[in-house]
Amino acid sequence: MLLQGTPCFYLVVLIGEYMSKGKVLGVILIILLIVFIVFTRKGLFGKGDVAEEQNRYTATFIDIFDTRTEIVGYAPTEDEFSKKATALREELINYNNLYDIYNDYEGVNNIKTINDNAGVQPVVVDEKIIDLLKFSKEMYAATDGRVNIAMGSVLSIWHRYREAGVDDPENAKLPPIEDLKAAAEHTDIENLIIDETAKTVYLQDPEMSLDVGSTAKGYAAQKTMEFARAQGYSNMLLSLGGNIAGIDGRIDGTPFRLGIQNPDMDSDVDYIKKVDIKDGQCVVSSGDYQRYYEVDGKRYCHIINPDTLFPSDTFAQVSIITDDSGMADAFSTALYNMTIEDGLEFVNTNDNIEAMWVYADGSIVYSDNFEQYLVD
Amino acid sequence: MKRNDIILIAVLLVVSIGLLIGVNIYRKNNTSGSAKVEVTVDGKVYGTYPLDEDRQERIELADGSYNILKISDGKASVIEASCPDKICVNTADIHYTDETIVCLPNKVVVKIVNGEENDVDGMTR
Ligand SMILES: [Zn+2]
Repeated sequence: MLLQGTPCFYLVVLIGEYMSKGKVLGVILIILLIVFIVFTRKGLFGKGDVAEEQNRYTATFIDIFDTRTEIVGYAPTEDEFSKKATALREELINYNNLYDIYNDYEGVNNIKTINDNAGVQPVVVDEKIIDLLKFSKEMYAATDGRVNIAMGSVLSIWHRYREAGVDDPENAKLPPIEDLKAAAEHTDIENLIIDETAKTVYLQDPEMSLDVGSTAKGYAAQKTMEFARAQGYSNMLLSLGGNIAGIDGRIDGTPFRLGIQNPDMDSDVDYIKKVDIKDGQCVVSSGDYQRYYEVDGKRYCHIINPDTLFPSDTFAQVSIITDDSGMADAFSTALYNMTIEDGLEFVNTNDNIEAMWVYADGSIVYSDNFEQYLVD
Repeated sequence: MKRNDIILIAVLLVVSIGLLIGVNIYRKNNTSGSAKVEVTVDGKVYGTYPLDEDRQERIELADGSYNILKISDGKASVIEASCPDKICVNTADIHYTDETIVCLPNKVVVKIVNGEENDVDGMTR
């Protein structure tokens, strides 16, 4: 610690030399040495050794994407960290307002505006909405329709029954299958018309609506991390409702270590597994353990299978590691709705995606290369 | 160089090293004191409770909404709440520094401060 910086070391050597010439000078130099050390600790000596101590900070926001946002980063002072966290928050709030399906915002055409104008007229929207919708169509194609943002009509029925059921568990009910089937008649993504030159979006089917829950959060997280990189931010972790992405690793050079939520919430074990991620990678889990309600003792989660129009119940959780947050979100939803055989084939034939499936009894299946990320 | 000079240097060095170590220990004790549970409502601190004392605290909001915080065996959890989604109740208990339980509808955040350091930087949900 004391001789860590070379200037410090030279000072000691100098003291030794001058000592032979006279006591007073020596003592003065010793005092200088002490002053030097104290100043170094206080950070007056620019970059190097202990001078610019990087502290770790965490910021939590609860006003974005109806979920919790956590940003972990390093800075010499809390103020400097807050500036970065605030910049990221502003980016995210912009995405939040554009991708909102429940609320209107003054002077903003968002996804709700598009839904409100279904069958009425095309709506002029921000480029960021066009980009998300195009990305969502890509995800529809990539997952064989298992990620379908045009399922709003079906999802809103489940949303209503789930909220009522959570609020009044005694009288919790399942939506009638006839209602779901009738709504499913209006989920054709081909009726989502994007005009890139006019910058408009139009829903051709007046009964249809968009629910971008399976893609918007991840897409916004990905774009926000790209923004952070463009700003030159380093050593940062962004968690958008548990969709976690990292830039670099920890300040000490070790990788960021992430816990994967144990789907068994009654267990004393917080994390079912821990993984170390590389720069630019992200991890996301889909499961039945946070957003759900129970009817007659059976749990019904928020992830609805487009084939059955009911929540999937094959797995307790599916987790994905990949290098794009948007894809991570979409693929974890898709895998949750697939059989293990289809899912394994999907993951093992796509590059840069690894997955872990957890069954209700705690048993685990890994894709070919997931285990290389595991620690402990 | 005289013998006395060397002794002087040695003494001063020892004193300065001693001071540095002292400052470090003081800082450490000040940051990793006893763990606490900090509850904020809409960003404002509602209350702070020691993590090592078992208790139940009803967090009352102006509009009648509430969350019931339970601290037991050095862990904090929300065991009951008036919110429609109950995600806070369905969140696992917490005890590591910076771990949180969030109730979005009530804007309540329960956070551990000065606790045990976690070996993970984040978790999926
Ligand atoms: Zn709640």
